[in-house]
Amino acid sequence: MTSEHQQGIEKNDNIIVIEALNKWYGDFHVLKDINLKVKKGERIVICGPSGSGKSTMIRCINRLEEFQRGSLVVDGVEMIEDVKNIEAIRREVGMVFQHFNLFPHLTILENLTLGPIWVQKKPKKEAEATAMKYLERVQIPDQAFKFPGQLSGGQQQRVAIARSLCMSPEIMLFDEPTSALDPEMIKEVLDVMIELAEEGMTMLCVTHEMGFAKKVADRVIFMDAGEIVEQDTPDEIFNNPQTDRLQLFLSQILDH
Amino acid sequence: MRTFKPLPSQPAPKETVGAVNWIRENFFSSVGNSLATLAILMLLAIILPPAIDWLFLSANWQGVTQADCTKDGACWSFVKAWSKQFFYGSYPSDELWRINLCLLALVAVIIASNVLHKDWRNKIAIPLFLALPFISIVILDGRPIGLSFVSTDYWGGFSLNVLLAAAAIIIAFPLSFLWALGRRSDMPMIRSVCVILIEFFRGVPVLALFFMGSVMLPLFFPEGTNVDKLLRVWIVLTLFMSGYMAEVFRGGFQAVPKGQYEAADSLGLSFWQKTLLIILPQVIKISMPNILATFVMLFKNTTFLLIIGIFEMLSTTQTALTNSNWLGGHATEGYLFVALVFWICCFSMSMISSSIERKLDTSHKK
Repeated sequence: MTSEHQQGIEKNDNIIVIEALNKWYGDFHVLKDINLKVKKGERIVICGPSGSGKSTMIRCINRLEEFQRGSLVVDGVEMIEDVKNIEAIRREVGMVFQHFNLFPHLTILENLTLGPIWVQKKPKKEAEATAMKYLERVQIPDQAFKFPGQLSGGQQQRVAIARSLCMSPEIMLFDEPTSALDPEMIKEVLDVMIELAEEGMTMLCVTHEMGFAKKVADRVIFMDAGEIVEQDTPDEIFNNPQTDRLQLFLSQILDH
Repeated sequence: MRTFKPLPSQPAPKETVGAVNWIRENFFSSVGNSLATLAILMLLAIILPPAIDWLFLSANWQGVTQADCTKDGACWSFVKAWSKQFFYGSYPSDELWRINLCLLALVAVIIASNVLHKDWRNKIAIPLFLALPFISIVILDGRPIGLSFVSTDYWGGFSLNVLLAAAAIIIAFPLSFLWALGRRSDMPMIRSVCVILIEFFRGVPVLALFFMGSVMLPLFFPEGTNVDKLLRVWIVLTLFMSGYMAEVFRGGFQAVPKGQYEAADSLGLSFWQKTLLIILPQVIKISMPNILATFVMLFKNTTFLLIIGIFEMLSTTQTALTNSNWLGGHATEGYLFVALVFWICCFSMSMISSSIERKLDTSHKK
């Protein structure tokens, strides 16, 4: 992490502001009073035990999940019931899922151009050129005319990242992007993500890849039971945990 | 360091491949299996020879009247003499090209939607498909385009079964999709309306629906308007088919993984873009076998129309059987022929369905 990058972050305003966010599934309180500010260009890794609400939290940011109390502002647009606002925010925010969620009936190229053509109303030629550019960046331009089912998991996930990038988002959300991959494919996906981080993309990443966190994160957030328990630089989080909960969590995931 | 070299692949053991082995494994793998095979072979030996004899060897193929049927076997002359009626009903002989044109158009559109490139298919074949029933009505009726007028009283025969079933399913397709969508809607009003529609048309027997269509439906039309009986039947068939297909589609909707909706949402697609571009193609693919099965059912149900006096193929056959020149008891030949024609059509549809399935199968690997 360079000091130049740090300064770049501090100069900019907050791109995501979450205040007093609360969410319930029926009677179950999943997110409790979440407060989080993300600056433009900041790279955040969110970790925590399963069921801690980390996926739910980032899914609130592009309104895949509703919340009942609190406020959420993304790039100056407030998340309210209005469909217009929700669609405006979704255009700014790209998302990569654990299970890739590529559209199985479309070719790789069509997967990539669908959003630009239908949402951004770009001409087909232009959308395809952009798509090929991103496919080259994730190093699979030769797969453009295949269907998702013909690709390996790692390739599919790289396509999913490229699909999000084609919409030129301001923010990228990653929801456990490597959890469904074979061990040999994790690196190729992480490499793409590291490259993206180095280019200054604002990233929120739910992952258990601690190596990745140490390498690229500006801030690591540790969640448990629907709360943000601790947040700090990777150094502080991993070497100097302030709570017994985080200490226990770290010992569970690192000691084997 | 030792270099890892994969072992070369060996051919499969001899005793597990080959025709003889296949027969042994599939027909004589156990005592029970062997007995069943022998029993079936014996049954065939008893049934087949007389059947073949009656159907082909001593059948009457020549001749145009009943008197020509002199041999013991089937009197196919009966079918030959009435074949025009069976296929076209009482449609005027000089105008038969109009029916053929409609059937040809139907086949052409089906082929086009299978061979055309995806972009063309969406832009041309699908709108043509939806317009086809109306174009066919115009051509068959004749008046709007200056051809001689043929009243629906003269439409009939097998071509009517085909065109009616096709016209019903074509309109039922978008309609049932909307109903299925409505049934999944968050809006209680829309949902209950769709549930009532679907359950009504699924729950009431099709014969009762036909009677309602021919007797009750006119009561709802304003006084003085005379809505054609065939048109009413078309509406009833379409609604009946929609009820069934809506449930098929609903199953398809539920089978599309939730992640597909989320991925579409996260790209910022609107509700209709998501539904039409992402969900619908996958729903159709998943539902294709059931849609075809439902269509085969509807197609066969069109023979029920004889009860309300529509001259489709089965009622034409009955008319032929009671014709005073052919009172020799040709029911077996007549009904066999009807069965054969329907079987050929339904079987081809199964073949088409499985070919579409293969084509659409871009693999749903998880």
